[in-house]
Amino acid sequence: MNTQAIPPLSKDAPTVLEMTNISKSFGAVTALVDVSIKLRQGEVLALVGDNGAGKSTLIKILSGFHQPDTGTIVSQGKEVRFASPRDARAQGIETVYQDLALVGDLSVFHNMFLGREYHKRFLGLNLLDNRKMREQAQLYLDTLGITIPSVNSTVDLLSGGQRQCIAVARSIYSSPKILVLDEPLAALGVRESAHVLGLIQNLRQQRQVSVILIVHNYNQIFEVCDRINFLHAGEVALDASTADTSEEELIRIVKSGLGTRAIEAAAAEIRPGLV
Amino acid sequence: MPPSKAITAGKGAVGVKVPHTMTERLLILLSRYREASIAVVAIVLVIYFQVGSDGGFLSPQFMSVVLRDTGRLGLIAAAEVMLMITGEIDLSLSAIFSIAPYVMALLSVTYGVPLAVGALIGVLIGVLVGAINGIITVRFKVPSLITTVGMLFFLQGIVVSIYNSQPIVAPVEQPFNAIFGQSLYQPSDGLFSLHGITAFTPFLWAVVLVLVLALVLSRTTFGLHTIATGSNIIGAREIGVRTDRMKIYNFMIAGGFAAFAGIINTAQFTSADPQAGSPFLTLQAIAAAVIGGTSLLGGSGTVIGALIGAFVVASLNNGLVMIGAQATVSDIYLGAAIIAAMILSIQVDRLRTRRRV
Repeated sequence: MNTQAIPPLSKDAPTVLEMTNISKSFGAVTALVDVSIKLRQGEVLALVGDNGAGKSTLIKILSGFHQPDTGTIVSQGKEVRFASPRDARAQGIETVYQDLALVGDLSVFHNMFLGREYHKRFLGLNLLDNRKMREQAQLYLDTLGITIPSVNSTVDLLSGGQRQCIAVARSIYSSPKILVLDEPLAALGVRESAHVLGLIQNLRQQRQVSVILIVHNYNQIFEVCDRINFLHAGEVALDASTADTSEEELIRIVKSGLGTRAIEAAAAEIRPGLV
Repeated sequence: MPPSKAITAGKGAVGVKVPHTMTERLLILLSRYREASIAVVAIVLVIYFQVGSDGGFLSPQFMSVVLRDTGRLGLIAAAEVMLMITGEIDLSLSAIFSIAPYVMALLSVTYGVPLAVGALIGVLIGVLVGAINGIITVRFKVPSLITTVGMLFFLQGIVVSIYNSQPIVAPVEQPFNAIFGQSLYQPSDGLFSLHGITAFTPFLWAVVLVLVLALVLSRTTFGLHTIATGSNIIGAREIGVRTDRMKIYNFMIAGGFAAFAGIINTAQFTSADPQAGSPFLTLQAIAAAVIGGTSLLGGSGTVIGALIGAFVVASLNNGLVMIGAQATVSDIYLGAAIIAAMILSIQVDRLRTRRRV
């Protein structure tokens, strides 16, 4: 896979998500300060930044797990408020968390459908349709090319890479409009990483899904992402298109120092007009 | 890259190691058939007592006693299992066991409220207490061990202060008493006559309700979310499971079950004793749950195992006395059995996860 694989994002792609002036504190710890991000249809946005920069907090606000102290979220043109992860899912925002949110004691197919189970009526009772969920899970994993020993095995018996694949598969099952992936490649080997990146590419090309990707490997950013937002100490320090910048430049900017001003200054010095 | 291209996950995928030693094989067998393994223990125990008592253990009269204890204990143990699956525990169940029938009897003797109505009110009180336990635990983040110990003393204090610790003689209303626990069985009756069946009503109620819980646990969204809550609470919440509600609901179920068990107890003895449920009853129920194969770690458990575990506990309590041991000796066996069951349970879990690559 290389950079040529990315078709240019059309200039008139509509904005599907706008998070404006989002702030969030946990007690005395300030996690986010006035963070604003924009996402267009079919765009793959990379969120980068050091540990504790606020990336995970930002996406947990987007997924409804946390509620922002201030700021607004506009999805598909209307302002939304997510009181819980269910609300965000109902709006077509699916999230794969860093911890994968898989339940080790449940089978793969139960995990696939957790929170949106299929039911059947039996003697007037609303029972789980385990057969349908098992079949659907198997079918879906097959079409995505994900091989696991059995959809019946409990998740705690799977390898890290297999779990990651299950979590990604679950998030795209419901055809989301926005897909948020928190370090989706962290536990994956080279082939598995390529496979997940391939899935992301497919989603954006065929279904015009917008993707927010938290990723640490800058190499992978340039493979699939259209734009980079660099978070530092709870603020967006850099917002650049991958077409306008290179991997070396990005790494130099990131290494350049502490503090938003220093990063902006470094970015301006390396390539004037970037920020 | 086309998604149809299959990937092989990791090196060697999930190779399940072939167990080598006999012990490992045995542990794997146990992990797969937990209920069966405790059932084997129960059968061995029955044979031991049957031989030791020269055939008295399996007589209808004696079985009636053992199975009544099993029913009462099994209801509480199964309810405790549901909570243990969510990662919580309720030590106030014995107090609910006392207060629910006490209210029923009090309403009956003071205001002439029919027992059936009083029983319903009693169960609702149990459910309400469960809800309070759950809300305190979940909203105020008090560990349930502490919440429910507090509730235990609080309720126990209330129930003894109502009437100066005096037991109330509850009136007998048929068919209420016969349906909910009173034994009409006489040695002259056939075992399968109507009267014969009343010898075992507490046990039959326990079997029915435990089967309902087993169905709920394995075949409903409620059960799935209960397991998810105890297995990975943060992950479950992230994916949209309402973990707080799941815990509160299971506290309510536990309260309702304990209240019902208490009502059965009163219907049997036609007396409501404010100290009918000593904290020891809850501990025996937890013992039954643990012996039945439920760990305290959350995420897994078996209500059917708990019922069989209750039978083991009830058999030990009654059987040892029958074969001539001191009544207190049964606690020695019970204590050893709890610890052994827990060690086994943890070893089986560890082996199970070690088998993955």
